[in-house]
Amino acid sequence: MKPVIGIIANPVSARDIRRVVANAASLQIADRANIVLRVLAALAACGIEQVLMMPDRGGIAGHVMRGIERSRNQGEHRFPSIFYLDMPVTGTVDDTHRAARLLRKAGVAAIVVLGGDGTHRAVVSQCTTIPITGISTGTNNAFPEHREPTVTGLATGLAVMERVPRGTAFAPNKMISVTVGDRTDIALVDAAFVTDGYAGARAVWRIHTLRELFVAFADPEVIGLAAIAGLIEPVSRRTSGGLMVRFAPPQEAPMVLGAPIAPGLIEAVGIDDWRRMPAGVAFAPTLGSGSVALDGERELSFSQRDEVAVVLTDNAFLTVDVAAVMKFSAIHGLMRQTHDRYTESLT
Amino acid sequence: MPSNPFPLAKSQLLQAYRTMRTIREFEERVHVEFAKGDIPGFVHLYAGEEACATGIMMHLTDIDRIASTHRGHGHCIAKGVDVHGMMAEIYGKEAGSCRGKGGSMHIADLSKGMMGANGILGAGAPLICGAGLAAKFRGDGGVGLTFFGDGASNQGTVLESMNLAAIWNLPVIFVVENNGYAESTSVDYATAVDSYVDRASGFGLPGVTVDGTDFFAVYEAAGEMIRRAREGGGPSLLECKMIRFFGHFEGDAQTYKAKGENEHNRATRDCLKMFAQRVTEGGVVAAAELAVIDREVASMIDDAVSTAKGAPLPIAGDLLTDVYVSY
Repeated sequence: MKPVIGIIANPVSARDIRRVVANAASLQIADRANIVLRVLAALAACGIEQVLMMPDRGGIAGHVMRGIERSRNQGEHRFPSIFYLDMPVTGTVDDTHRAARLLRKAGVAAIVVLGGDGTHRAVVSQCTTIPITGISTGTNNAFPEHREPTVTGLATGLAVMERVPRGTAFAPNKMISVTVGDRTDIALVDAAFVTDGYAGARAVWRIHTLRELFVAFADPEVIGLAAIAGLIEPVSRRTSGGLMVRFAPPQEAPMVLGAPIAPGLIEAVGIDDWRRMPAGVAFAPTLGSGSVALDGERELSFSQRDEVAVVLTDNAFLTVDVAAVMKFSAIHGLMRQTHDRYTESLT
Repeated sequence: MPSNPFPLAKSQLLQAYRTMRTIREFEERVHVEFAKGDIPGFVHLYAGEEACATGIMMHLTDIDRIASTHRGHGHCIAKGVDVHGMMAEIYGKEAGSCRGKGGSMHIADLSKGMMGANGILGAGAPLICGAGLAAKFRGDGGVGLTFFGDGASNQGTVLESMNLAAIWNLPVIFVVENNGYAESTSVDYATAVDSYVDRASGFGLPGVTVDGTDFFAVYEAAGEMIRRAREGGGPSLLECKMIRFFGHFEGDAQTYKAKGENEHNRATRDCLKMFAQRVTEGGVVAAAELAVIDREVASMIDDAVSTAKGAPLPIAGDLLTDVYVSY
């Protein structure tokens, strides 16, 4: 039986305060649906016959089904069969959580996720055993790589159809776990300790509230809080460990950094100190009370009564390594459809 | 003494609680009194939605204008309209905010910037564009906010107003109070988008969706949008996803809701309980302090009702007064 792919595209992503305090955009529902159709076409081209999707009432499912119907009416057979998960739709991030659990239970070979860092975190928090492929459609997209979704779909299809060796097709990823008392949550990119002791509008944009930052990887090409780390000392996604940064008011800090902490928002950040964060070691924040922002969104409040610990784990979950899959595909002619003299010369 | 983790001082947290408790007690009492048959006309209760009005209005002053809806008691109270006057108005008495001539759906107090509850769906939006334009000309930093529900969001007046506000860069905020039902019609059926942020971006307005039952989420988002508007940043849209505990109107059998839905919401999505829990667990406010407010508010509402009941009705001659405005 051919592998089944799961797709999670939650319309509730990309709706937060960064649209007001920064220049964050809001990808229209029709555009998100179009991305899904591109992915579906690519999966079908790789031989995938069935896809399980998260239902929504934001319009994505409706647009997708209309697109498939139009294609069918024209005699095209460009898409796999789509089945929707049997689950209630609340229009919140809970839908993402529930869909991820159901897809794990269904044993899908991979999950394609449309969203920003928050959506990807929501998926991984419910299933670390299934590889995911990220497509950036959210506000902050430090985790999902920016790439044409058609190519992401092709790479995912080739990977799960085992056209590419597993060691090449899937890449390991780091994860940060934060424990506050008896509550534990994760971050795929960064965990920031801020003085605001409430979730509120969730996003972090007031630099003066930042005290400490722990990042799984530090990429100078991303935006968000992880950009601060990336612009100080880059740490790749595949290197063991991450980076820890401590902040100070700019007027007192030994270094002041201009960092793109949100779309179109570059702020002066005072850096007191930074060092590498080894994997498997628990760190306690110096901040006595406040909240922890996971992948840029305030999630867990804590006070001095709470025991707080931050741990980075290497090899926590897998993603489809799109670049590696497509390179392998080109070298080994996986997408060639006719036998010709060129194929022999490449192998 | 633990530090205050909240964005408001203790006195402000207590004020926020007092406002929300006042709205809740007011609405619960009107619910009871309406059933006795003494209140003329209709009432549409705001119970369950207190965090939205309170979280927003805490950023406003008397120079800022708001345009409300048919479900306006919460907006009035949060904007500082006198509670005794409101209750008398609902009873149709001469001592009412509008001298007994408007009733529940037309309570207004321009001295507080409250342009009126409004029985016409979506009618507040064009009004607030006018208020916003006036504030812009005056240059006093004033802003305007209009409230409308998920049903009214589909009215042409609302959409036209968003366009106008965008092209004139007005200091206004459009607040969608999405409680999931337009009377008895589900928002899933009646609205073509899942999020009003998409609607707003279609007009070039930034939009934000928050959990309207979370006071701090509303407070923080509204604060940024109001600050931005005051500073010339123009209009924006705030969608508050919330819950109304009662029906569309008093007497509504609510057959469109699931069995146990109201009970479940009161048990799990009560914005007052959630606020109280947060501020007491945060160590800033003691439960006993909130209990004092509960008693004071209950006493005030009692007094407002008994005063309203004993107040005189308008006389026949009042029909010909307050018809025109003198400039």
